[in-house]
Amino acid sequence: MATRSAIILAGGKSSRMGTPKALLPFDGQPLIVHVAGMLQRMFDDVVIVAAPEQELPSLPVTLVRDEVAYQGPVGGICYGLSAARGEIAFVTSCDSAFLNGRLIAHLLEQIDACDVVVPRWQDRFQPLHAVYRRSVLPLLEQQLARGELRPIFLFDKVRTCTIAEEEIRRFDPDGSSFFNMNTPEDYAEALRRWRRLNDEKARPTERISCTVELFGVARLVTKTHGISLELPRDSTYAQLFAALAERLPALVGRVITADRPRLVEGYACNVNGREFVRSPETKVNDGDDIAILSADAGG
Amino acid sequence: MHACFARLLHIDLTSGKSEFRPIEESRLRSYLGGIGLGVSLLWEHAPAGIDPLSPANPLIFASAPLAGSGLTTTAKYAVVTKSPLTGFIADSLSSSHFALELKRLGIDALVITGRAAGPVYIVVRDQNVEVRRADHLRAKSATETESLIRTELESPAIRIAAIGLAGEKLVRFATISNEGRHAGRGGIGAVMGSKHLKAIAIAGGRDADVADPARVDAIAGSLRQRSLGSLTDKYRSIGTVANLSVFNHLGVLPTRNFQQATFEDAAALSGETLTNNNFSRRHGCACCTIRCERLFTSRGIEGEQRLEYETLFALGPLCGINDPDTVLQAAALCDRYGLDTISTGGTIAWAMETAGRGLLAGGQDIGLRFGDGDGVLNAIHAIGARDGAGDLLAEGSRRASAQVGANSSDWAMHVKGLELPGYDPRSLKTMALGLAVSPRGACHNRSGAYEADFSGEVDRFHGDAGRGPLVAASEDYAAVLDSLIVCKFLRKCFSDFYSEAAEILCAVTGWDYTPDELRRTGERIHTLKKLFNIRERWQPQDDWLPERLLTDRLGTKGDVGLSPEELREMIRGYYRAREWDEAGYVPAGKLRELGITA
Repeated sequence: MATRSAIILAGGKSSRMGTPKALLPFDGQPLIVHVAGMLQRMFDDVVIVAAPEQELPSLPVTLVRDEVAYQGPVGGICYGLSAARGEIAFVTSCDSAFLNGRLIAHLLEQIDACDVVVPRWQDRFQPLHAVYRRSVLPLLEQQLARGELRPIFLFDKVRTCTIAEEEIRRFDPDGSSFFNMNTPEDYAEALRRWRRLNDEKARPTERISCTVELFGVARLVTKTHGISLELPRDSTYAQLFAALAERLPALVGRVITADRPRLVEGYACNVNGREFVRSPETKVNDGDDIAILSADAGG
Repeated sequence: MHACFARLLHIDLTSGKSEFRPIEESRLRSYLGGIGLGVSLLWEHAPAGIDPLSPANPLIFASAPLAGSGLTTTAKYAVVTKSPLTGFIADSLSSSHFALELKRLGIDALVITGRAAGPVYIVVRDQNVEVRRADHLRAKSATETESLIRTELESPAIRIAAIGLAGEKLVRFATISNEGRHAGRGGIGAVMGSKHLKAIAIAGGRDADVADPARVDAIAGSLRQRSLGSLTDKYRSIGTVANLSVFNHLGVLPTRNFQQATFEDAAALSGETLTNNNFSRRHGCACCTIRCERLFTSRGIEGEQRLEYETLFALGPLCGINDPDTVLQAAALCDRYGLDTISTGGTIAWAMETAGRGLLAGGQDIGLRFGDGDGVLNAIHAIGARDGAGDLLAEGSRRASAQVGANSSDWAMHVKGLELPGYDPRSLKTMALGLAVSPRGACHNRSGAYEADFSGEVDRFHGDAGRGPLVAASEDYAAVLDSLIVCKFLRKCFSDFYSEAAEILCAVTGWDYTPDELRRTGERIHTLKKLFNIRERWQPQDDWLPERLLTDRLGTKGDVGLSPEELREMIRGYYRAREWDEAGYVPAGKLRELGITA
């Protein structure tokens, strides 16, 4: 796969925050370190675009400075794409503290047939959480020259793939990916959210994982032997069937009912090769090995 | 009278004479048709204590009230006789056009007794019965025989049921076959062979009417629609071979003569793998909308081979075989010779284990070992022709182990002489009871006892007396299905079986049958099977399971076993549920209650 880059725009004025956002303490480190660290886990090439003279901690990334300060996002994206090694780049801002790896991976998967992949959350494009092909650079430079500092002007000119809110929710149900910090209140809210997330993570019992093995018709229609699923603790089999239907849509209508998360009549669910699940309200246990099979054992 | 003709055709091969005889309508009402009618006629026609391979043992082909009605899955007939494998009742089903033609003869049953001087085949065309020489058909497969007779009679429409070489050689688990289908279990092909009867060719001209055609049409439409829903998806999409991977997962796939209940190479033989790699086409019986048959292609066989779960398990994991091509070749050979695949696999698996323990004498040891594909193919040739060591194996695992001795009966996996089907009873306790008490021997078709185990309604790992009523109800239900006759693969499509079946029976026959009466009929039919066995010297110890199942535990899915006490407790519960005495005999009061005149 071609190199893919991540670009972090860090050169904003932070005027409403009153202090440089990139350096706000977050998770025990400057915010920019937190964001860069997350992206370094996904990308080989990370580029930070900063304002001239902007103070930043030392990071193992490519650092570029705006030639002309404060040209807005389009300027930042231009400088970032110029410095990026990849043909494809994910662009975000330094105050996006809640990046979601699964959503970013999904956006990257959509770029093959287009030049820009941009999520649309609550009726607004999210150009600072989008994927750009480097080939759009000349168009952005022309925009910059004309003073069109908003990235959305680009979207009409190139092949743009918009990711709808419903699709985003599959990966990021509450849209935390798009949470930015512009005011001290936003910063306080971000700290609260982060604490809550950490509390949940600290309690490993909050999520469980199980494997689902498919037999017979279920295997043939999905061309899949089985998958692993993560579910909130105390999930029921109804929730498991819903998660399964989402992951393997070919099961819907044939093995899992289309209107509610139940097995179609004629199918059964067995746990750990022993008990058969008799009610969809039965709780799923961590580590369960679940089999979806025909309820009819006649031979 | 509708849907039935109230007469049978009796042919005595010793004298060559035949006659049509009346059947009382009350008998048809009490026993319906199919297996019920067959058992009733067997009770009347078989002399007590008869040698199954002697001329006087009647071979009964029974039609059924629903055959020819156009209802889906009803093109079926039964063959009932005394089994040369078990010494008890043999009641087998087969299907398709032969079943429809049997009905069109204008009879409810064909009863064959006696023994011809040399090989013959019977031709029945409407009222005319002819017994023809069959010397030229010797050693031909059933399929070849069908084709030769059809050409000889210049009658493409004629339908034929025949035996292969195994039937001629009196292999105790030989089948009777028509159109590639087999009345498979209990050795009825050997009974046919003992009469020197190679084939029965029939062509009729009478269509049975139904009492209420409009009602039958409406029911037919509804059943057809239901038969195409999710409840039959397994049968329509993969066929019964789908069971193999599921049973392996659940630890109930008999492997290497029941030494294990999971097979490490199950993935290579699974229905899903076969569907992806070997599937050729889907096929079905006449009049069937489910069409569960799967035809596969493979190296080493010409054309296509039909394969279903029992054959796959018996010729695969049970013998330690992991190669689908070998299993398909073995299945093709069994069909060619006319051998029951379950008993063939079960007997070969016994021989593999016995040989591995060094207990087979020089001539009997043909080098069979678990996993030896060529060994399986050679053994089938030997059994089918009763050649060399095949002569011992052609007797089935019970007789072979009795002959070999040295405790080898401990791992002869049969009940009453009939080899076990592909469900390990140690972790299917309701099934364990069903297999132990079945009048036919270890059979998965005369009760669907495994259904309770697979439903989650009972703990399949622990048996108790409460399984008794479940097994009894399952047997009665099967007796009704097998006597109407409706295919068991349709059974889940009924929401209230007895009500719907009674309604169907009324619409077809014009009788005023109630659901309760139908339920009672199921019990009557089952009880008469038991009564027949008692007359043939059934003993309480015959309702039991092979020693291995009661001593060897399984390590898969936890430590699983079946103790003699557990089995005894379940059997006690079963006899109680049947209102039989503690030893399993049927009290006179029960017979009176069921209207059985013994």
